[in-house]
Amino acid sequence: MDRATAAKGALVEAKGIAAGLPDLLIEARRVSTTVLAGWHGRRTAGRGETFWQFRPFTPGEAAAAIDWRRSARDDHLYVREKEWEAAHTVWLWADLSASMDFRSRLAPVGKRDRALVLMLALAEALAGAGERIGLPGVTNPIMARDAAERLATFLPEAAKRPALPDVHPLRRFSDLVLIGDFLDPIDRLEAVLDSIVRAGVRAHLVQVLDPIEETFSYAGRTEFLDPETGLRHVVSRAEQYRDEYRARLAALRDRLATLCRLIDWTFLIHRTDRPPTEPLLALYARLADRHNSLGFYAAGRAA
Amino acid sequence: MSALAFTNLGMLAALVALPVIWYFLRLMPPKPRLERFPPTRLLVEIPRKEEEPARSPWWLTALRLALAAAVILALAGPVFKPTAEVAPGKGPLLIVVDNGWAAAPHWQGVLATARRIVDLAAAADRPVALLATAEPPNQSLAPTDADSIRHRLDALAPRPWPARYADLAPALRQAAEQTAFGGSAWLSDGLGGDDVDAFAGTLAAAVNGPIVAYADTAGELVALKPPVNGPDALTVPLLRRPSPSPADAIVRASDIKGRTIDETPVHLAAGTRTGAAKITLPIELRNQIVRLEVVGADSAGAVQLLDDRWRRRRIGLLSGASVESAEPLLSPLYYIARAVQPFADVRQPHDANVAVAVPELIQAGASVIAMADIGNLTPNVEEQVAGWVRNGGVLVRFAGPRLAAATDALVPVMLRHGDRVLGGSMSWETPQPLASFSPDSPFADLTVPSDVLVKRQVLAEPDGTLAERTWAALADGTPLVTAAPSGKGWLILFHVTADTSWSNLPLSGTFVEMLRRIIDFSSSVAHGGDSAEASRPIAPYRLLDGYGRFVAAGPEAEPIVGDVAKIAPGPAHPPGLYGSEDGFRALNLIGDKADLAAFAPPRTADVSVRAYPTAAPVVLAPWLIALAVILLAVDALAVLWLGGALRWWRRAPAVAALALIVAGAVLAPRSARADEASDQFALNAVDKTHLAYVVTGDDAVDQVSRAGLYGLSRVLTRRTALEPGDPIGVDPAKDELVFFPLIYWAITPDSPMPAPATMARIDAYMRNGGSVLFDTRDQLERSTSFNSLSGTPALARLRDMLSGLDVPPLEPVPADHVLTKAFYLLNDFPGRYAGGPLWVEATESQQRADRPVQAGDGVSTILITENDFAGAWAMDKQGNYLFPTVPTDPLQREMAFRAGINIVMYTLTGNYKADQVHVPALLERLGQ
Repeated sequence: MDRATAAKGALVEAKGIAAGLPDLLIEARRVSTTVLAGWHGRRTAGRGETFWQFRPFTPGEAAAAIDWRRSARDDHLYVREKEWEAAHTVWLWADLSASMDFRSRLAPVGKRDRALVLMLALAEALAGAGERIGLPGVTNPIMARDAAERLATFLPEAAKRPALPDVHPLRRFSDLVLIGDFLDPIDRLEAVLDSIVRAGVRAHLVQVLDPIEETFSYAGRTEFLDPETGLRHVVSRAEQYRDEYRARLAALRDRLATLCRLIDWTFLIHRTDRPPTEPLLALYARLADRHNSLGFYAAGRAA
Repeated sequence: MSALAFTNLGMLAALVALPVIWYFLRLMPPKPRLERFPPTRLLVEIPRKEEEPARSPWWLTALRLALAAAVILALAGPVFKPTAEVAPGKGPLLIVVDNGWAAAPHWQGVLATARRIVDLAAAADRPVALLATAEPPNQSLAPTDADSIRHRLDALAPRPWPARYADLAPALRQAAEQTAFGGSAWLSDGLGGDDVDAFAGTLAAAVNGPIVAYADTAGELVALKPPVNGPDALTVPLLRRPSPSPADAIVRASDIKGRTIDETPVHLAAGTRTGAAKITLPIELRNQIVRLEVVGADSAGAVQLLDDRWRRRRIGLLSGASVESAEPLLSPLYYIARAVQPFADVRQPHDANVAVAVPELIQAGASVIAMADIGNLTPNVEEQVAGWVRNGGVLVRFAGPRLAAATDALVPVMLRHGDRVLGGSMSWETPQPLASFSPDSPFADLTVPSDVLVKRQVLAEPDGTLAERTWAALADGTPLVTAAPSGKGWLILFHVTADTSWSNLPLSGTFVEMLRRIIDFSSSVAHGGDSAEASRPIAPYRLLDGYGRFVAAGPEAEPIVGDVAKIAPGPAHPPGLYGSEDGFRALNLIGDKADLAAFAPPRTADVSVRAYPTAAPVVLAPWLIALAVILLAVDALAVLWLGGALRWWRRAPAVAALALIVAGAVLAPRSARADEASDQFALNAVDKTHLAYVVTGDDAVDQVSRAGLYGLSRVLTRRTALEPGDPIGVDPAKDELVFFPLIYWAITPDSPMPAPATMARIDAYMRNGGSVLFDTRDQLERSTSFNSLSGTPALARLRDMLSGLDVPPLEPVPADHVLTKAFYLLNDFPGRYAGGPLWVEATESQQRADRPVQAGDGVSTILITENDFAGAWAMDKQGNYLFPTVPTDPLQREMAFRAGINIVMYTLTGNYKADQVHVPALLERLGQ
């Protein structure tokens, strides 16, 4: 396959993704609104745009900080404080490689569509909460209400990227949500994850699998084709391989889960025949939990 | 000749290719199914489960080889048991087909053989001529192409007459002059004889080439000869060709309508040619027999048709006595009638006047006329009777005082005037017994009875002929019965009376036998000699075809004139019935003198004789092709299975079980299904408490009832401890009602009246403690302030329905009724409409001031409202109300629900709440 053909194929694929994006965005928004309620700001005064409280003017402060309208109501001077809206950076990455472009007869949607929906819904929710979100290697973190749409515009670009993100833009104290099938060779996977760990980033892995990849409900003489590598494998009695395959998949997951547990990451499994809100809620809880624990951690350190 | 032949032997060489096919097939594995599967890498890491054969499974290879072999063999055109016929000679071929009656039993074989010979001739490009021997001589004998011969063969049918060899010989000779036949195939009907020999000679002269005759000499060819209607049985002679093997046949007798009267088996011993079936039946049944046939013989020769000649005789009775019917035991005709009734048709004239009666009897076709004590006939009557006797009638006269006084000429012997009295008070002679029967008479084989005594008789003048005219004589030699022929008929005289005044002969069994012999004798007297009848043509009524079946007469059949017995059946007169249903003559193919000879190689000609091939050749190619197609289908299925496409197969047990269940449901007897249905109904009804409504048949009403009870069930579930299941519609005519505490019955004025049995079930239900809530739903129609149970059509209908029931006295729910307190405290019971009363059983009037609640001991079995409860309760699955209340008032709906809850609680708990009012007093007594 020469380069021109490959580029063209990627372009076509990217256009396919882009064409599906409005639908996916709407889907993502619908999904995110169901989980958005109840997540608010930092609940402390600081730099921000929304009003937090008035406090008495302390001599030495800049006079410009005085809220004259409030101060005119009595004899004291008041300063208008705003809520601290320190944004957290959450990097999102969805594996858009060929192996994700798969939908079996058991699933209502393809893996890639589901991964995009998850990512965009998460982006929508995070953007609504005022977080900085970005696609590593594709775009810098964006802090905007329409961050999800803007991320979406970069997706055709991201589709040309490999299954695992570029780790160079990642900085410390940020979160990375990796959505993919993690079916790459475990050594390569671990190498990339290792570099992410080294960058000081906490990652959340969401493994999106098609139901048939879990159940392996094939039988008879079957030729399996890996869409990513073009690998072909013929077995005469597919049903004989079911148990062994499941064991191997479980082992792979176990290894990933163990790895994540060791380094305080989270690992989620999502099947495309389940509703997308399930992993989204879980992700949300883990991100929020992270913030809480961060807060406690910071408080503890401060003390 | 081998059993298997191939039309295209060269194709078999292709079988050599089978090993090559085998080699390639072994190397070609079935194509796997392609599946995109991202985690293929995981699969690759799994070690191989088995050494994957790079070849097809052996059975698949065998299957495909068999498929290839089947196709090759089919193309080779195999024929099992190839044709045994030959088309003899060269040049024009003459096919002679015997289509006389004897060919009928194996006619299909004859036709098939003829067709195959025609095929052979057509294959050899030979012209063919066809000669059908039962057809008229004017048939075409010019050789033509095979197709037209095939058409003529199709039109050919066996004829109900013998082959007409003699008629055809000139035509054959004439055809031979125009055509040089190079060979002939003769499909014989299996009968031989002199005419067959002669025809064989003619054929040999006409054909310049070999002649092959096919004859079925081994098969049974049975014919029936005219039966003999004996005194005790109808004897049917059977005839067959000489045969070394025994045979069994069944002779069936049927009447004019085709109803079987009797079936008699006949055994023909080995080597015998004749047999006889004795049909032993009462003579009444025997006389109804019109048709005798050999079951399964399927030929006109195996059928005999019977007409009046085989019938019992008709006997006309005449008496000189004036009073006949008043005192039957004194009437001479009584004894005669009783004696002959079992075997003869007794005819008594309507008119006592002999001048009228005699022509009437002759007109009626009486073959025997019995005259009891008639001395002198008037001259013209005597002339009529004499003419009738000369034409074959049998006149039987009995003596008596009148005959003794004077006689006319119609007596067999000269009589002395006056009678002779034996054993009387004025006589020395004793009564004479019967002594002898003349051996020449019909009475010859009768035994002489010892108990017959003759007290009086008329005496004959002794002359030279008396002895030979005496059929029965007394001990003293005087004649008892004399007879003399007259023309074709006979005059017979009993010298005693037909009653018991002169002798006890009429009381003896001998009298019966004598009369029977006379009547049988009359049937042997030549019949049908009536000149008027002989000259009248008789039209065909129902004719036989070659197979011996009745068919409508064709245009060739001509009426017969004259004596049927003298007519030979042929194309102009096919065998069958001629006349009408009332009277017919039977023309039979086989006569008394018929004989069946087996076909033998004719001495007059060189003819080689073969048997008909018993089996047609079987062309195997279609079967092989079918086998190949089946194998192909199996192969396709196998490939699919190998490819794993038959996933559903794993669910096969479930599918099979389902199919079994469905089949069982379909095949099970209806009653079982009804039981199952009622069992299912019971199971559905008892799993929970269900509210029930009566299915009225009016869909709109039933839906409202159902929705209403559904709504009430929901409200009950929400507010009370009762969680009813879905409401159930019941048909009180069929369904068991005992499962339901409360049945809601919406009454419509036009609802069909329940059957009394249905109302009886309702009655039983109510007696057993069930409650029925009747709802006339017509409070709005009620004239204002008319507060009684009358007025609206629905109420009228309800009243009609309940008229047959034992309905207790009713009253509107009183203020202290337990219904008002069963769950909620209620004052009234509104539904969609408010204001109508709720009627319940009147409680016993035992009101006491200190009892706050009247406790009916039981629950009111009947509740009647007009407020349309169901309409107020009706609710869809989302909980939306279906109907507004009238007036639109949420409180009214709430009250309606409360009323419903109270009613349900009341029916379920009875007077429990009535007892609850005592709780404070009880608690107080307990000291709390």
